Amino acid sequence: MTEPIDVLEALLFASDAPVEPALIQEVLELPSADAARELVHALRRRLDAEGRALQVIEAGGGFRLVTRAEVAPWLVKLARSKTKSRLSRPALETLAIIAYRQPVSRPEVDAARGVNSEGVLDNLLDRRLVRIAGRKESPGRPFLYETTREFLVAFGLRDLGDLPKVEGDLVVVDPAAETPPAEPAADAEEITAAADPAQQDPGPGGADLAPRG
Amino acid sequence: MTAVAEPSGITVRVESFEGPLDLLLHLCRTNEMDLTRVSVRAITDQYLAHLESVDFQDLETAGAFMVMAATLIYLKSKLLLPASPDDPADALDEEGELLRQELADRLREYAHVKALGAWLGVREAEQGLLYGRTVGELPPPEDIPLQDLSVHLLQRALQRLIEEQKRQRPREIEPNPLSVLERMSEILDLLRHTWSILFSSVAGAEKIRAEWVVTLLALLELARLGQARARQAELFGEITIEGSSVSVREPAGGPLPDVRVTDGKMHGVHVDDDEEAGP
Repeated sequence: MTEPIDVLEALLFASDAPVEPALIQEVLELPSADAARELVHALRRRLDAEGRALQVIEAGGGFRLVTRAEVAPWLVKLARSKTKSRLSRPALETLAIIAYRQPVSRPEVDAARGVNSEGVLDNLLDRRLVRIAGRKESPGRPFLYETTREFLVAFGLRDLGDLPKVEGDLVVVDPAAETPPAEPAADAEEITAAADPAQQDPGPGGADLAPRG
Repeated sequence: MTAVAEPSGITVRVESFEGPLDLLLHLCRTNEMDLTRVSVRAITDQYLAHLESVDFQDLETAGAFMVMAATLIYLKSKLLLPASPDDPADALDEEGELLRQELADRLREYAHVKALGAWLGVREAEQGLLYGRTVGELPPPEDIPLQDLSVHLLQRALQRLIEEQKRQRPREIEPNPLSVLERMSEILDLLRHTWSILFSSVAGAEKIRAEWVVTLLALLELARLGQARARQAELFGEITIEGSSVSVREPAGGPLPDVRVTDGKMHGVHVDDDEEAGP
């Protein structure tokens, strides 16, 4: 019961956050992070082969031990409550803008959605799906927002590179080029060019992730 | 629920639109319009028709819809009044063309955002079926991982503290703590000048709990020492304090106190003083 693979299973079981390959390597005293990754794959294969109700998923730069979707109905019964609370459509759209354009300010989010996003943003902050990344050096020095590791975990993403590629670029308007008469001062905010999500910081421990096997 | 009939006959609930871009996108889709070539002429009337039926809940959202309406009307006015008679009917001047281009760009971008939002929604639903540990049994690490923290949390914590402070009523500061001994000498002072005093006049009419307790204790102590008598005609009634015939020079632990709570049950309440009272 103290084979590395068994210990790994215990690590994933006991941890409340995704366990990074580097941490597995450290705890199990493995020669490399790749060896840790190999061990995870072995555990994954074992759980699959035995048809266990648990599975290993990769999210937020590490590995988690979670139940399989098939047993969800019983867990709902166990919890005596319907389902986990879901995000509203405005919240998901706001999250999408932040995920693709981070770090991004609220005026930029507002411009992309065409409506005020303050309440939605507060909700996302409270759920710790986004956080303040700093201030933008533009008039009013608005806060910049970025997604968190909780965001990656909640959506089962290894890193931001897991987000779907947008066909064509995310079109960005540069209001500095022209000031339309019908647009209010809210658009005077300079909007930064949309960054390619693949080039962004993939979050802690995410940089060295191999493709999902 | 406000609903409007579109030209095509489809009924649309206006409330379900997140904002002007959402509504505009919907109109383009139902008209099977290419997002890069939005026909201002066709869309403006439909947009305004929708707008008329909306009962806006807040000014901000209403404003966002109105700004879009203004842009559309402005563009349409440019179409109606060509700069020169030679221009083709659907041509815009340079400024108008830029504005239309910007609108088209924003629409395309919003279409992306909407699609990505939907993708995230599906993803969230899938992940919602997987249950993992959210609260750890392991003791927390000695160093707090700072990368998972946000300025926002600090701000929220401060806000909570401030709100908590606001809820707390200012503390009353007592000028000096009440003392049973002082209250005893006060009563004795009063009794030197009058034959009897009312308990309430000593304890204060404001009925401050501490005042009443201290006064009662002082009175009981005086009664035990035989320096005062207390009479209460009825339960919860006024207590009358009278000077004792017993001399002040009487040693402590003298005769039993003459406390009478005449509620019909208790007479001669014995104040426990087994250490001082002699036989």
